[in-house]
Amino acid sequence: MKPTSLAALRHLPGGIRIGQIAGSCALLLFIAPSVTLSAQQVALPPLLDTMSTELTRAMSTLGKSGDPKASEKQIPPYFLSYSVADATGISIRAQYGALADSESSHQRVVDVQVRIGDPKLDNTHGTHRASAVNTLQLPLSDDREALSRSLWLATNSGYGSALDNYLRVKTEAEVRAKEQDTSGDFSTEQPQVSIEKPAPAPVVNKAVWEDRVRSLSKIFREYPDVYQNVVMLTAQSETDYFASSEGSRLASPHQSARLVVFAVSRADDGMDLFRAQTFEAETVDKLPAQPELEAAFRELGKSLEDLRKAPLTEPFNGPAILSGRASAVFFHEVLGHRLEGQRQRGDEEGQTFTKEVNKLVLPSFLSVADDPTRTTFGSTWLSGSYDFDDEGQKAKKVELIQDGVLKTFLMSRLPIASFSSSNGHGRAQTGHVPNGRQGNLIVTSTKSVSDAELRKMLIEEAKKQGKPYGLYFEDISSGFAVTTRNSPQAFSVVPLVVYRVYVDGRPDELVRGVSIVGTPLAAMKRILATGDKSEVFNGECGAESGSIPVSAVAPAMLLTEIETQKQQQGTQRPPILTNPSAVAAAATPAAGKGN
Amino acid sequence: MKKLATPFAALALATFSLSAIAQQTRADAEKDPVLKAMLAELDRSRDQLQLKDFEKPFFIQYRIEDVADFQTKGDFGASVGEDQHHQRVARVTVRVGDYKTDSSTVRGDGAVQLTALDNDPLALRASLWQATDQAYKNALSAYAQKLAQLKQVQTPPQSDDFSRESPVIALEDPVTLNVDGSQWSKRVAELSGLYRTDPALKATEADVQYATAIFHGRAVNSYLVNTEGTIVRKGTTSFEESFAVGTQAADGMHLDRSYGSNGETIKDLDSSEAFTKHAVKLIASLTDLRKAPLVEEEYHGPILFSSDASSDIIHEIVAPNIVATRPELGTEARTKGAFASSYHARVLPEFLSVVDDPALTTFKGKTLVGAYKVDDEGVLAQTVNLVTAGRLENYLIGREPVRDFPKSNGHGRAAIAGAAHPAIGVLKVSSTDGIDDSELNKRLLALAKDRDLKSVYFVETLGPELTPRLLYHVDADGKRELVRGATLDDLDQRTLRSGVVAAGKEPYVANYDGAVPETILAPAMLFDDVTVRRANEKNDKLPFYPPPS
Repeated sequence: MKPTSLAALRHLPGGIRIGQIAGSCALLLFIAPSVTLSAQQVALPPLLDTMSTELTRAMSTLGKSGDPKASEKQIPPYFLSYSVADATGISIRAQYGALADSESSHQRVVDVQVRIGDPKLDNTHGTHRASAVNTLQLPLSDDREALSRSLWLATNSGYGSALDNYLRVKTEAEVRAKEQDTSGDFSTEQPQVSIEKPAPAPVVNKAVWEDRVRSLSKIFREYPDVYQNVVMLTAQSETDYFASSEGSRLASPHQSARLVVFAVSRADDGMDLFRAQTFEAETVDKLPAQPELEAAFRELGKSLEDLRKAPLTEPFNGPAILSGRASAVFFHEVLGHRLEGQRQRGDEEGQTFTKEVNKLVLPSFLSVADDPTRTTFGSTWLSGSYDFDDEGQKAKKVELIQDGVLKTFLMSRLPIASFSSSNGHGRAQTGHVPNGRQGNLIVTSTKSVSDAELRKMLIEEAKKQGKPYGLYFEDISSGFAVTTRNSPQAFSVVPLVVYRVYVDGRPDELVRGVSIVGTPLAAMKRILATGDKSEVFNGECGAESGSIPVSAVAPAMLLTEIETQKQQQGTQRPPILTNPSAVAAAATPAAGKGN
Repeated sequence: MKKLATPFAALALATFSLSAIAQQTRADAEKDPVLKAMLAELDRSRDQLQLKDFEKPFFIQYRIEDVADFQTKGDFGASVGEDQHHQRVARVTVRVGDYKTDSSTVRGDGAVQLTALDNDPLALRASLWQATDQAYKNALSAYAQKLAQLKQVQTPPQSDDFSRESPVIALEDPVTLNVDGSQWSKRVAELSGLYRTDPALKATEADVQYATAIFHGRAVNSYLVNTEGTIVRKGTTSFEESFAVGTQAADGMHLDRSYGSNGETIKDLDSSEAFTKHAVKLIASLTDLRKAPLVEEEYHGPILFSSDASSDIIHEIVAPNIVATRPELGTEARTKGAFASSYHARVLPEFLSVVDDPALTTFKGKTLVGAYKVDDEGVLAQTVNLVTAGRLENYLIGREPVRDFPKSNGHGRAAIAGAAHPAIGVLKVSSTDGIDDSELNKRLLALAKDRDLKSVYFVETLGPELTPRLLYHVDADGKRELVRGATLDDLDQRTLRSGVVAAGKEPYVANYDGAVPETILAPAMLFDDVTVRRANEKNDKLPFYPPPS
């Protein structure tokens, strides 16, 4: 459960074939309003029409054989859906100042969802949830015969697995004690019909972008202690087609472009240090201009060299400011994941917030909403936007916490005791069963002060607590949110850039090796005030239903108390020989420095 | 007692090929920007890489593989897409210690990094620098561990850890991948839809559960340099077209057929007409297989394997066992595998001999994918007489010696980005008194008569794990009937040693285009006692509903 676009990149060195980073998340985003129509009223594009025909045929045939012998154990499905992601992508990657690969791809993948039983109890119950989905690659052309044959193949095997799981679910239901949460397995929703034009193929001038990506990577030659870097551009156009036996028919386009940089260094004591940054836009031409990117890359390179030399942190328990960006990551991890609907039921879940509805869970000056319908924040594009979720439900803005009071959860079509229907947050990567997930998590505050004021408050708070300094978290990276019962209710985000802000007026001091510890709820309740400007974090978030693009928006926050310890990461020495780029820069070859 | 069994013939050949290409020099190599960058970083590492108070490496090797791939796939008559990849991968090996005892372990050591596609010397060197640093640190800790382990065992290692080899400078021309992608996409789409379009196949249309055709082209340029002075550049291309189709019999048994055509150039592949003919035959065979009766429950007796099926048997049972790999520390074993103690012993009938000859590039006009000139450790390929008149007289070996085999015979082979291990190149099985197919068939029937058997079996093709795909029940007067659902038992080293009663004349060319390309040339073989058994595997259900019409 980490909001990072870099999970895939970390494993780069060593892998020969690295998959397309641009995942096939069935994400949707478009501005055109969708009018409620019935499927009969609109002309369906050939792919959707074939899906629709084959779906109807399957529903009217499966488990309805006239042969009494053949139908002995065959039960007709009560729900069937086809969700096809038709995605075209381009990815360009450079490292060490040269191109490492440059590829394009086009594929169509179908997720067939089969449900047997009834909405109260079906084949997806409990630990059988994954049995809902069966995935297959589809032909790229509109050859109806090939398409319907592939859909048949996927439906047939999906039905087989659903049937097997349904029979086991029924047996298990008979032998186990009554569950705490007796909600059904599938909510009742209105079918949606909305046919939009397919997303245009991404327009990327490959030669130009290869040059740009390459020269951005080359910037790190100015920082020889940054011994590894990866710069990657991905551009993706995706059209998602959805047809269900309830009558939903959707064609929904989405485009995204992302530039990711990941750079690594190591301190002399072996501590691994890294920085990452992402730039997102709807299309590549809207990404920041080259000079702006170059400046950001230089800043990143410099910050790593500074970090190498920064002193090690000491264990600390006192006040701290999280920058807007750091707060956004913090809220996504600590709060967002725990507000996912499915985490409120099931014996395995910690259910931190299950019984907290209508109770104060945050300071009353804070509100939190998730709004996938919003495409930008200020001038920043939000990557967690979509039109319809991956269960074909219309995206909605959901007020999760109002004035500190918990109001609802992020709901897919999996009902829970307190909420029985979807609020358009059923999201998944292709090949996974959708779960309640975040889209654009937006934190707002009514107790905001200027940055200068917030800093003053930090120093006052530190003085009050008798601390020589408070902490300022400028950048935080992925951690993991553990929400299951048998693990402690802790979180572990990785602070990347942390300063000590001294009470005696000394200049701020960069420290390294800071790691946050403590319990999430407690940490959130200790927010004293916020800044008056919000920052956006765009990233990829991985969880049970796969990796999906998300955004989080939050202002800086002052916490009265945060507990940190020394991070135990990495024991290897830095490279023994000097970076070849530094050797080349010097007129004569330098001797090994590390002996 | 130690006895050196050096294959003199092979050595002579090696010397000959060496002199043939020995005029190339490091200066020639440095005209190549990739080799130039590799040599520059190698020199720096050799001269400077050392952690204080620890040993310097005694051997460093850099390998870069530049791999360009194109693949396109068709399902049910339509393209599901093309994949195009081009990457360079660097693999660095660092050895600490000395030739006698070094840091190497059984896992295959080294570090791997993705490296620059651009011929940018600094970028190429940066990834080599990173991998070298990692490999050296790993080697230091592996070496310390090795020294500690050596103190734990009574029996010392039976051979050195690493062989000394003469440096080789061999520069082949680089290759590029030239493929008309859209034409191949169209071709595989059409192939995968043959069951829809070919009038002769109309009857099978409803039964086809999958029909897939794939075309794959690959060009690999590999660059190798080491601190002993070896510099090698190799360029290889390979192309493969394959087709697979399957259905289920009425009892649910899965019936699968596949066919592939491969070679070094596109011209080596079957023509479109020839390939289509094969594919049509395969689809039509499904109808026969669906109708074919189940094999009898158990049979022990003579079976004739076609040259195609025999090649698979050799690939499965002989190929993995005639390689010499370092045995467990502390044992007196020579090598590992089924032939570990078979040196000079009989492993095949006296009329069979086995040679591995990587220099054999074609056979009767067919290119052999297992051929190569220099192996992936920079050692010149040698022809190795492995089995002579049934006796095992040699092993295939790379640079990690075993008892009595102190030198590589040029069979250290590596998958892309992988460590080198000994493997076959072009393995040729021949019989001193081979007979033709009709004669073999007569011998089969004669055996049946001798043993008073009403029927015997003929295996035409084998699938994975030596499971028959086309198996014929042969009655006393030679009439063949296709049967299905069989597995074979007792196909092992013992049966090969004493159960083969005759072999064919003409070898089949079996190209295995796997991670390490291999070729087997083997004739048909008649076994006098093999078991055929009904597989009795769990059959899946038939489709729950019919396919769209």
